[in-house]
Amino acid sequence: MSTWIKVARYQMVQRFNYVTLPWAALALLFAAQLAVITMLGMHDARLTGLVSIYAVFFIVGVSTVARSLPFGLALGLSRRSYYLGTVLLALTLTALDGLLLAGLQEIERATGGWGLGMFFFRVEYVLDGPWFLTWLTSFVALTLAFVYGLWWGLVYLRWRRMGRRVFLVAQILALLAVGLTADRFAAWPNIGRFFTDLTALGLTGVLAAATAALLVGGYATIRRVAV
Amino acid sequence: MTPTVSLSGLTRRYRDQLALDDISLDIEDAAITGLLGRNGAGKTTLMRIVAAQEFATAGRVRVLGASPVENDAILRRIVLVREDQVFPDVKVRDALRLASWFYPNWSAELAATLVAESELPANRSVGALSRGMRTALGNVIGLAARAEVTLFDEPYAGLDSEARQSFNDRLLADYTEHPRTVVLSTHLIDEVADLLERVVLLDHGRIMLAAAADEIRGSAARVSGSTLAVERFVAGRPTWDRRSIVSQTSVVLAAQLDEADRASARAQRLSLEPVSLQQLIVHAAGGPAAQSTDETRGGTLA
Repeated sequence: MSTWIKVARYQMVQRFNYVTLPWAALALLFAAQLAVITMLGMHDARLTGLVSIYAVFFIVGVSTVARSLPFGLALGLSRRSYYLGTVLLALTLTALDGLLLAGLQEIERATGGWGLGMFFFRVEYVLDGPWFLTWLTSFVALTLAFVYGLWWGLVYLRWRRMGRRVFLVAQILALLAVGLTADRFAAWPNIGRFFTDLTALGLTGVLAAATAALLVGGYATIRRVAV
Repeated sequence: MTPTVSLSGLTRRYRDQLALDDISLDIEDAAITGLLGRNGAGKTTLMRIVAAQEFATAGRVRVLGASPVENDAILRRIVLVREDQVFPDVKVRDALRLASWFYPNWSAELAATLVAESELPANRSVGALSRGMRTALGNVIGLAARAEVTLFDEPYAGLDSEARQSFNDRLLADYTEHPRTVVLSTHLIDEVADLLERVVLLDHGRIMLAAAADEIRGSAARVSGSTLAVERFVAGRPTWDRRSIVSQTSVVLAAQLDEADRASARAQRLSLEPVSLQQLIVHAAGGPAAQSTDETRGGTLA
């Protein structure tokens, strides 16, 4: 455990990527949405600026391994310690960031959308419930974005460009296989019902399961990475 | 006694290229070993596998008695900062701070001294360092870590002669104070010749020579004098690098000389000079200095 904490601290040396960048992107998008609303009077516009923080977490996940893993291994870390320490950092940050997002959502709700009827931190159905549910969903979704990016980064480090292409094609094929299987067994109505009936908490559960699967995939990949 | 590093049948293949070909080698504790060979000989690949940065295609690797692969207890006792090391986007002082967290024997004092001596700019981003400064940073980490298995990959790359000498001096001084297993990979044999206790010569992924440096140094001597006397002296013994001008000849005699040989040489007014480690190793590798038959080369390798 102490090695994992050291790895988390090691990653935090580049705190700009982990702390500044996601919130800077979010602040920029918030300002842009604010400008659009005030200038164009689109008070009810439900723009998707919030997605920027998830996008940044994905990108940070992709880029983090390329430089920090080779030096980490040079300093005598095992791939397992590096991976688990990095995931530990991600879980800590996404838990804190989720809390901030939930807090900002509460402020947005209390101020009637920043006095302008603006929707930025509230996303209908997904992120529009009580603060703890917003926290949980944000925490899980941010973790998913980071872990998915991490796996992409590891695939590139291990198999370079060809690996990236194969990884993309494999995901498309997997989705196609799911679609064809659903088609074959005429399962679409049931799938549709499953998602329609799914509550925000249920969706968070599905995202958590996907995150767990991505974590396993990333772990299996890093065990094969040479630097 | 269990060797610090033990390789058995180690092979690493990259598609159609054989980087390491059935290497078996033991590296003992508390010695400075030179891993020598041309560029592409397999030196870095071998070190990467020892440090578990790379995987073997076949064979067995034991470091400090166990496999280093995913073995935290062993890995924290190994340091390898490579010539082509990729660093995160951090400053020099951060890179050193990071290294200090992971090595139980880290010497902050030594690191500070080496940084000052190397004139490394602590506040500069590692990415903005010149090649030589980057090498110096790797050397600082390698030395200050005081890891039981300290691996240096091309520690002279980009360094000027003063910095190379300074590294040698520091390495020797710290090694004397804190003996450990040090392996230096380089193709600049002259730079390390005085440091080495053991030599391992790699060529095309195979071990050409693995012996004590003193044994190699004493394995040959250059004999010079009148052609007739030289020929009489070396008759029936393996030789290489024969040079003749008018009636004078100079030849490398690939054999250990005893006191009787030396007395005989003095009597015949022959001069006996040591052959540099560089020449011996280039010869062993079949390089440009080698002008012998396979038989005589075998004499040098023995």
